[in-house]
Amino acid sequence: MSAVIENHEHDHHGPQKGILRWLFTTNHKDIGTLYLWFSFLMFLTGGAMAMGIRAELFEPGLQLMDPIRYNQLVTMHGLIMIFGAVMPAFVGLANWLIPMQIGAPDMALPRMNNLSFWLLPSAFIILLSTAFMEGGMPGFGWTFYAPLSTNYPNIAYFVFAVHIMGISSIMGSINVIVTIMNMRAPGMTLMQMPLFVWSWLITAYLLIAVMPVLAGAVTMLLMDAYFGTSFFDAAGGGDPVLFQHVFWFFGHPEVYIMILPAFGITSHIISTFSRKPLFGHSSMVYAMVSIAVLSFVVWAHHMFTVGMPLAAELFFMWATMIIAIPTGVKVFNWVATIFKGSITYETPMLFAIAFVVLFTIGGLSGLMLAITPADFQYHDTYFVVAHFHYVLVPGAIFSIMAAVYYWLPKWTGNMYDEKMGKLHFWLSFIGVNVTFFPQHFVGLAGMPRRYADYALQFAEWNAVSSIGAFLFGLSQLLFLYIVIKAVFAGKKATAQVWDGAEGLEWTVDSPAPYHTFETPPKVNG
Amino acid sequence: MAKNNFSSKIFLYLVSAVIFMFFFSFMLVPLYNVFCEVTGLNGKIYGPSSFFVKDDVEKKDSREIRIKFLSQVNESAPVNFFPSSNEVRVWTDKVSKTSYIAENTTDKQLTLTIIPSVSPGLAAENVKKIQCFCFEEQILKPYERQEWPVRFYVSSEVGDNVNDIYLSYTLFETDRVLTDNMNHGK
Repeated sequence: MSAVIENHEHDHHGPQKGILRWLFTTNHKDIGTLYLWFSFLMFLTGGAMAMGIRAELFEPGLQLMDPIRYNQLVTMHGLIMIFGAVMPAFVGLANWLIPMQIGAPDMALPRMNNLSFWLLPSAFIILLSTAFMEGGMPGFGWTFYAPLSTNYPNIAYFVFAVHIMGISSIMGSINVIVTIMNMRAPGMTLMQMPLFVWSWLITAYLLIAVMPVLAGAVTMLLMDAYFGTSFFDAAGGGDPVLFQHVFWFFGHPEVYIMILPAFGITSHIISTFSRKPLFGHSSMVYAMVSIAVLSFVVWAHHMFTVGMPLAAELFFMWATMIIAIPTGVKVFNWVATIFKGSITYETPMLFAIAFVVLFTIGGLSGLMLAITPADFQYHDTYFVVAHFHYVLVPGAIFSIMAAVYYWLPKWTGNMYDEKMGKLHFWLSFIGVNVTFFPQHFVGLAGMPRRYADYALQFAEWNAVSSIGAFLFGLSQLLFLYIVIKAVFAGKKATAQVWDGAEGLEWTVDSPAPYHTFETPPKVNG
Repeated sequence: MAKNNFSSKIFLYLVSAVIFMFFFSFMLVPLYNVFCEVTGLNGKIYGPSSFFVKDDVEKKDSREIRIKFLSQVNESAPVNFFPSSNEVRVWTDKVSKTSYIAENTTDKQLTLTIIPSVSPGLAAENVKKIQCFCFEEQILKPYERQEWPVRFYVSSEVGDNVNDIYLSYTLFETDRVLTDNMNHGK
C-alpha cells in the first residue's frame, strides 16, 4: 500500500482549472473559500437592505417606501444575515480551519461537503426570487409568527428555501462532528483540541438538535397554509402561541449557534496577541457546554408577554440569568489572558478586544431583558433591536472579521494592508456604536420595532442611528478591497505569520498548500 | 478500516438524531395540548363538563364572581355576532345561563367555528361549560339569525384572587381559511 503512495508522490494533483474546480471541488479549503465569499455576498445583500431600512427611518414619515415594502426589507434583512451571512461564514471558517487545526487532510465527508455548500445558493435564489413575483417577498419578520405568515403570499417559496438551508446546515454539522471525532491527529485528545474546534463541535450538536425543529415548524406552516391542517390556526382548534413555543425552541439555541464559534475565534486571537497561553482552557470548554445545554431551557424568555403562569415566567427568567455565569467565566478568562501580556494591537486583536467589550454590552442588555417584569416594558421595542444587534454585529460579525484578518495570511500567503485594516476597524467600530447605541435610548423611551414610521420625539436619535449605519455599511466596501488586495498582492507571509500564534495550522506553509497533513502530524500529549 | 466503521456509525447516529428531532417537533403539538389541558395555560376550554349538584352548597362557601362576555369576528366573516348580555354576576357552583346572537348577513349558507378563550388563563379550568355552541360547528342559513345558549358554572375551586373572569368567543368561517390561502397563489 505504501509503495503505491510513494509512486504518486510527485504527482500531487492540484486544483482543476476554471469554474468546474469550484463546482465539483471536494477540497475543504476550496469549499471554505466558497462559503466565505458566498457569506460576504449575502452580507452585502442583507446590508443593502439594512441601508434601505435606515434610509426610511432617517426621518419620521414615509419617504422611500410603503410599509409593506419596509416589512419585506426587515424580514429579508434578518433571514439573509442569519442564514446567509453569519452561519455560512462560520461554516466557511470551520471548513478552512478544523482540518488544519486537528491535523486532518480534509473533512471526513468531502462530497457531502460540496453538496452542503451548493444547496445554499439555490436556497437563496428561491428566497430572493419572490422579489420578482406578484405578492412580493415575505414580510412577516424573520420569526414568521403564524397565523400571520400562513396567510401570506409566496409562503411556499420561503418554506422550501428554509428547508434547503436547514438541510445544508445539518449536513455541514454532521461533517464537522464526524471529522472531529475521527480525524484528529494521533495523540490529540478531546481536551487538547483548539478552542475554535471545540466551539464548532458544540455548535454542530446544537445545529443537529434544532435545525430539524425549524424544518418541522415550517412544514407545519406549509400544511396550515395549503393542506387545511390547523396546527396554529385557532379556527381549526390550533394555537398560535404553540407556534411561538416551537419556533423559539429552535430560535434560542440558534442564537448560540451564531455566537459559540465567535468565542472560539476570540480565544485564539486574544491569546496570540497577548503572547500568553489562554487562561483557563478547560473552563472555556465547560462554559461553552453549559451555555449550549442551558440554551434549550430558556426559549420562553422571547415570549414573556403571551400570558404564561407566574411559575413559568420565573423559571425562564432564572434559567436565562444563569447563562450569565458561564458567559462571565469566558469574559473574565479573556481579560485574564490579556492581563500582563505583551500585547500588540494588530487588526485581528482590535476586532477581538472590541468583540469582548461590545459583546459584553449586548450580554448585559440581554440580562435586563431577562427580568420578566422589565421585559413587559422592553418587549418589541428598539431596546431589543439594540440588544441583539450588539451581540450579532460587534459580536458574531466582528469575530468573523477578526478571523478573516487573522487567518488571511495563511490562506492567501500575503499579509493584508495593516494600515487599511486598522482604518476599517475604526470606521466599523465607530459606525456600529453610532448605529446601535442610540437604539437603546429610543427603545427605553418606547419606540416599537417593525414599523416604517415613528413618533416625532424619536427623530434625532434615529437620524444619528441612520448616519452610523451608512458609515458602517460603506466601510465594509473597504473590507472587500482589503481582502481582494491581500489575495493578489502584499508582503509575503511566513508560515508562522504571528509570532505568538500556536496551533497546527501555523506549521504549514503560507499560503497553505492545496493538500495539508496527508501524513498526520505528531501531537505531544 | 476500523476508523471507517466508526465514522459511519457516528454518521448514522447523527442522521437518526436529525430524524428524531424532526418528528419531535411534531410531537410538541400533542405535548403542548396535554400540558395546556392539565394546567389551563392557554385559557382554552376542552369539551363539555357534566354538572354535579352539591347539596351542601351554602351561601358562605359560595362567592360572587363577575363574568364579562366578549365576542370577536375573525377575518371579517360576514356575521353579526354578540352576547345577549355583556356582564353577569354568578355564584360559584351555581349554573347560569346566557346566550350569544349570531346573524348571517349574506345570501349564502355559512359554516362557523367558534373558539372560546378565558382570561385570566389560569381560571379556565374552573369555568365549567355544560352546554356551549363552541363544542361543534354551527351552520347559518342565508340571512338567518340564531340565539346560541351557553350554560356554565364557575367552580368554587377558582383562585381567591379571581373576582372577574372574561369569557371571549372568536368566530371563524370554517372553510374560508383554506380557500383564502389557495387564492393567494393565483
